[in-house]
Amino acid sequence: MSNGQNPNSEQNSGSEEQAGALPAEAPAPVPSASPPAGPAEVSGRQRLRAGLWPPRVSRAQLIVALLLFVLGLGLAIQVRSNSDNSALRGARQEDLVRILDELDNRTQRLEDEKQRLDDQRTELENSSDQAEEARKQTLEKERQLGVLAGTVAAHGPGITLTISDPTGAVEADMLLDTIQELRAAGAEAIEVNGVRVVANTYFSGDGGELRVDGRKIEAPYEFKVIGKPQDLEPALNIPGGVVQTLEKEQATAEVARVDDIVVDAVRPAKQPDHARSSSR
Amino acid sequence: MIAVLGLVVGVVVGLLVRPEVPAVVEPYLPIAVVAALDAVFGGLRAMLDGIFVDKVFVVSFLSNVVVAALIVFLGDKLGVGAQLSTGVVVVLGIRIFSNAAAIRRHVFRA
Repeated sequence: MSNGQNPNSEQNSGSEEQAGALPAEAPAPVPSASPPAGPAEVSGRQRLRAGLWPPRVSRAQLIVALLLFVLGLGLAIQVRSNSDNSALRGARQEDLVRILDELDNRTQRLEDEKQRLDDQRTELENSSDQAEEARKQTLEKERQLGVLAGTVAAHGPGITLTISDPTGAVEADMLLDTIQELRAAGAEAIEVNGVRVVANTYFSGDGGELRVDGRKIEAPYEFKVIGKPQDLEPALNIPGGVVQTLEKEQATAEVARVDDIVVDAVRPAKQPDHARSSSR
Repeated sequence: MIAVLGLVVGVVVGLLVRPEVPAVVEPYLPIAVVAALDAVFGGLRAMLDGIFVDKVFVVSFLSNVVVAALIVFLGDKLGVGAQLSTGVVVVLGIRIFSNAAAIRRHVFRA
């Protein structure tokens, strides 16, 4: 307070800078005191104008500028940090602890839920794996049974048996005997002239007019048989067997081993009318 | 004029540079800013009254800031930080308003 221009201002400055003993009281006397002195000296407005323009570089101005710079800096930082993530930055310690607790609880709940869902997923995967496995096995079994029932094509090692019958002497029972012999020797899939031989296959007709399952077939009769060739061939060739019997009737029978024979004649699967599978 | 420029430059620098405030100072920054605002308004009023002294302004500015921060610090230590900082803001707000009223009378003569 080195600049006591008049006692009045000295008093004002005192109320100004002390931590506002009576802040509400202070402003009132100042303006009332100021205007009477105003016209003679300088009014506040003129002082403001003079301070703003023209710019003067004085010690006071520089110091005030420096402090205002600090104020602006703090203001900007605070505003910025407040708008950044206002929820947490301005929060007090207790609030932060509470928020942290809530977050922990929430994390715990979410972890639990994740665990539960993981378990559920594992369970579902296992069950779907099992279902897939069962389906695969069923499919496999269906294929195996289909080969035996003649509903699917089959291939594998086997033999071909060609019976030429120039004189028409081959009878249905001879073909049936052949089939029986082949079955006894372990034939798994048999096809005669494009007709798949299954459990209820029947042969009918007289020499030269033979029918398999009602379909007429003509000589030469060609058997495609899947089975173990080493078993099938001897079974046909044994003394008194199929080949010898046929040769007695002036028919010729030729047996040839084949590494991979395809039996692709199929017949539709028939739904049994009366029989039902009985679960054991 | 230069003082106003200083304020503007400070705001711009604060917005552009986005300096990292140390965590220790952070809780006291808002209250310090309010205290500084109070000092600035007081200084402006003193200037309009024609009794502005730069030394007084500097001392009041710094002491305002320090005392405000100190009060909040003490309040935090005592466990009444929130209430005390509210109180400080209220007191400073009243002072700012009264100073603003004086400034208004000078500038608008009303």
